[in-house]
Amino acid sequence: MEATRQIYWNVGHSVVIPMYLMAFAAFGWMAWGFWQRLPIWRLGKALDRFDRYDERIKRMIAEVFSQVKIYRVTDGGVFHAIFFWSFLILFAGTMLVMVQADFFTPLLQVNVLSGEFYKIFSLALDVAGILALIMLAGLFIRRFVVQPKGLEIVKDDYIVLQLLFAILITGFLTEGVRIAATELQQNPALAKFSPGGLLVAQIFASMTPGTQQVVHQILWWLHFVLVLGFFCAVPYTKLRHIFTTAANAFLAPFEPKGSIANINLEDESAEQFGASTIADMTWKDIFDADACTSCKRCQDRCPAHTTDKPLSPMRVVKQIGELAESNPGGSLIEAVSQEALWSCTTCRACQDVCPANIEHVNKILEMRRNLTLMEGVFPGDEVRTAVSNIEINGNPFGLAYAARGEWVAGLPVSLMEQDSDVDILYFVGCYASFDKRNQAIAKNFIKICAAAGIKVGILGKEEKCCGEPVRKLGNEYLYQMTATENIQMIKAYAVKKIVTTCPHCFNTLARDYKDLGLDIPVEHYSTYIHALLQSGRLSLTPDPFSFTYHDSCYLGRYMDIIEQPRAILANAGGVITEMAKNGYDSFCCSAGGGRIIAEEKLGSKISEVRITMATETGAPLLVSNCPFCLSMFEDGIKTGGAEGQLQVRDLAEIVAERITR
Amino acid sequence: MKLLVCIKQVPDMESRFKPDASGIWYNEADLAFRMNEYDEYAVEQAVQLREKLGEGSELTVLSIGPDRVVEAIKKALAMGCDNAVHVQDTAASAKDPWQIASIIAGYAKDKSFDVIFTGMQSQDRGSAQVGVTVAELLGVACTTTIVGFAYDNGVITAKRELEGGIKGAVTLNTPALVTCQLGLNVPRYPTLPNIMKAKKKEITAIPAADLTTSESLAATTSFHPPAKKGGGIVLEGDVGELVDKVIAILKDKTAVLR
Amino acid sequence: MKTLLIGEYREGKMLDSTYELLGFAQQFGGESTLLLVGSETQLPAYAGTLYLADAASCGEYNPDLHKKLILETVQKEDPDYIVFVHSSYGWDLAPRVAATLKAAQVSEIIAIADGGFEVACCNAKMRRTVKPLTAKAVLTIQAGAFPVLQPGGAPAVVKISAEGNGRLAFVGYEPTEKKDIDLAKAEVIVSAGRGVGKKDNIPVIQALATALGGELGASRPVVDAEWVSHDHQVGTTGQTVSPKLYVACGISGAIQHLAGMKKSDFILAINKDKDAPIGEIADVLVVADVMQFVPALMAKVAR
Repeated sequence: MEATRQIYWNVGHSVVIPMYLMAFAAFGWMAWGFWQRLPIWRLGKALDRFDRYDERIKRMIAEVFSQVKIYRVTDGGVFHAIFFWSFLILFAGTMLVMVQADFFTPLLQVNVLSGEFYKIFSLALDVAGILALIMLAGLFIRRFVVQPKGLEIVKDDYIVLQLLFAILITGFLTEGVRIAATELQQNPALAKFSPGGLLVAQIFASMTPGTQQVVHQILWWLHFVLVLGFFCAVPYTKLRHIFTTAANAFLAPFEPKGSIANINLEDESAEQFGASTIADMTWKDIFDADACTSCKRCQDRCPAHTTDKPLSPMRVVKQIGELAESNPGGSLIEAVSQEALWSCTTCRACQDVCPANIEHVNKILEMRRNLTLMEGVFPGDEVRTAVSNIEINGNPFGLAYAARGEWVAGLPVSLMEQDSDVDILYFVGCYASFDKRNQAIAKNFIKICAAAGIKVGILGKEEKCCGEPVRKLGNEYLYQMTATENIQMIKAYAVKKIVTTCPHCFNTLARDYKDLGLDIPVEHYSTYIHALLQSGRLSLTPDPFSFTYHDSCYLGRYMDIIEQPRAILANAGGVITEMAKNGYDSFCCSAGGGRIIAEEKLGSKISEVRITMATETGAPLLVSNCPFCLSMFEDGIKTGGAEGQLQVRDLAEIVAERITR
Repeated sequence: MKLLVCIKQVPDMESRFKPDASGIWYNEADLAFRMNEYDEYAVEQAVQLREKLGEGSELTVLSIGPDRVVEAIKKALAMGCDNAVHVQDTAASAKDPWQIASIIAGYAKDKSFDVIFTGMQSQDRGSAQVGVTVAELLGVACTTTIVGFAYDNGVITAKRELEGGIKGAVTLNTPALVTCQLGLNVPRYPTLPNIMKAKKKEITAIPAADLTTSESLAATTSFHPPAKKGGGIVLEGDVGELVDKVIAILKDKTAVLR
Repeated sequence: MKTLLIGEYREGKMLDSTYELLGFAQQFGGESTLLLVGSETQLPAYAGTLYLADAASCGEYNPDLHKKLILETVQKEDPDYIVFVHSSYGWDLAPRVAATLKAAQVSEIIAIADGGFEVACCNAKMRRTVKPLTAKAVLTIQAGAFPVLQPGGAPAVVKISAEGNGRLAFVGYEPTEKKDIDLAKAEVIVSAGRGVGKKDNIPVIQALATALGGELGASRPVVDAEWVSHDHQVGTTGQTVSPKLYVACGISGAIQHLAGMKKSDFILAINKDKDAPIGEIADVLVVADVMQFVPALMAKVAR
């Protein structure tokens, strides 16, 4: 007997018209639900995210179907990915049945669903159904039994999980009755290709054919109505993420990570800066709230949140959505709270891990811009002082600007104003220029360059703070002032390449300054040294040491420089023991986002938490690549009681000690 | 009502001061300039009063010096002053407080300002004379080093800071001049819209010679660093060693540690 | 050479700073007379001429009347110098007198110099020598810069008076908050300055003070930031102290602070900046981070 089945068995072909009518009604209902969201999204400002269509489509398809962003976090992610693929198979199978029944059979008189293909088809769908059920059970247990910290249970969760369970179970029950009534009688060998259905069929096997038919009809309709219910529920529950999260993979920005829109300070008609209400946000910022599934991955990785500060990136995203819906004219900053806004270190861990491509950091920045530029507010008096120090002396310490280049005394460094014929311009930054501990980075970098025969120049007192901390605190005006002066100064010399030892300077000069017209190649010393080693201009004599390594946010997550520093350290004889949070998952030192000039008054100390992670590796040495991190860790080691147990050193210090003579 | 606030641009006090060629004032090379701290309190208080008085009142900021002082003027405008006067004087630093006060009085004498605000002193010269002298030259009431200010219907109620944490409350009728002290207020940070607006505000330039020709009454004959106190030891180096040295010294020189 | 010294009187008491004027006059040389708007019951222990006006009728702070009294006395005495203490009383009154006389004023004198007077400038980082160019000059001397001189004896009182109200009305004094501690009596004071970084670090400084058997002091910025209450403030706007040991932690040494503590027997300063003005008067300046050094010192002291 041929392996196939009768589609519309027992329910009959007469259901086709009501079935399609109902289905179209459900789709219409779903579309209407999304249509109603449109005015809310449109409350935001314009933003073009529909360029480079083909690339966007490709990215969306790749991200959605691979589920790569979902299973990056195994907890919940693996269940979701397998459930998604299973459900996708079920959906595709159902579509195939539809096409067969309503197109192939009546129009072409062909039955694809037969023979060997039907056997595979049947088995695949059955296994997918079983897998989907198991994954769903896993997700159910995770949410309601295990209850991971921070995972909220809302009404949607009950609706969605129950609906999905009901659809899968009624699916199996419907199949089971059908098998009991048909295949078990006529072609038991074929029933083996539906192991799940075969098992369920046992329940119905003893029923009379009449009862089976009635039960089947009820179950079929029930299953069908539940599926329609699923479609209807999409726009009104978390299920909307099927479309919105997928859409976000399309809408995600193409700009380099960490790009911030410049404010046009020449525009004299502008009266509003930063975001104080929903209308100051972009439509994408509001849409992001609909794309959020409350998976709380961002919150779990937020250094502010995990140290009990009043910031959850997820909540910020949600608050924007709630305000847009309930009170679009209301104060955004009140809704989110100043404390939450100032707590952000812009470490980008939230945005990096977000499976929905939500852009958290710039939302916070826009609100900070409003606080700073429109209200003149600071997170604390110490920040007010530091900002005024940058205004006057070009450094947050308030030290005499003329002393900026004094650390070079006795070192082979050219002052650009005296001799600008150099291989690289070393943009030193405030910390390495003024702070004793960080001057060691600068001096060792010079030593390394000297060994490689690189002629280094610095701007000395002509250099100013790059403006990164104030920009991240929202003070775009002061940022552009200092940035413009730096750019003019750099452009006045024929600079071939700029190298920084600070990832904050690096990001700012390489990316932010580009928007202001600086187009000279900028490198961080880690890749620069790496290239010197590769080319043989520099060689190291390995001296074994064991260490753990801290990926600074602005080097790792922002600039994707993760392997080169490790390669250098391996070359220097280092044996690494990684912290659990490394690479893209690295945990901030607390100093990003301008927090370097602010006191950490709320919650526990981020740096101490990171130091604990480092001591847990058992390595006696923590290597960093950033003056901010180094400063925070020197502090965290002292206040966190890790003195004598852990030492923090900069990459340049390690390398300089091992230069081959 | 017409208000005037007088400000000075001074070097940041973190700067390293070196005598100039004449040896009687500092060399301006490598100095970072800013608004005198006490004058920031004066500007803030003046702006607060201007805001309280609203329409029909006018706040003018005045500064004397070379072109660089326009930066300080711009900040005052961004903080909320309505217009500005730049008394152009490349030799302002060579003038004594009497001459500076004469310039201000020369400008203000026919303008009938109701309230004039100044800082209690400049951070660089620190004479604490200009404000009071201006009041004397204009013949208006004056009080100094205020840490509290209220205005109501022609009467100023001010709190003066006295020694030992005591404050003295006084009232004075306008026209009047007050000199402002640390603790009076927290100067606002100019908002970006106000910085933009300030760019369009008028800065009237007046040559100093048009306002006064008075001679100086006192002359600076030398500008120099203080003589180091003899016997003071400077210790540097490793913290652990420093502690041991300090303990040894304290045991030796004081009866506190034994 | 003749000096007219203007004494100070507040809240019904002649202030001791009046004796610093006598100390200055002695160093300066020449003849001197004293003028005081005070009370007959509070006469200075000094055997010279005292022009005395009654504060009950002329007010303790009434610049217009006080100026009038001084100018009348100047006419009578024809002094070369009229000398005030550089205090809230002196810096308020001196320029009024100088402006009326069109006389030179030299403010906040810290020493008598060759051909003029030495004054502090640029936040006490630098000095100027200033020479009056007028026949008469008005001077104000820095509090604490000249020795207290209490010669003893009874003055020959010349009563003076002035009529009128003046253009400002004195309303009254606002007392400082109640003091829990009396720094003036402390033998050891460990003071915190802005260099301690943050409020959270104050207990570290307090602990050192306790370990040394002393009290916690503070500089003005620290008090203004509300890290420490006002009764701990050392300096001209706080308390003037003279302990056996003064430890200045992260205090760069604003002139107001230095004036309040420079009479300490032994001054230990801890500061990152080697060039901080505190170094000029410290017996020992430790160039280090306060929050590294103090806990380390504490550990050894506590042992």
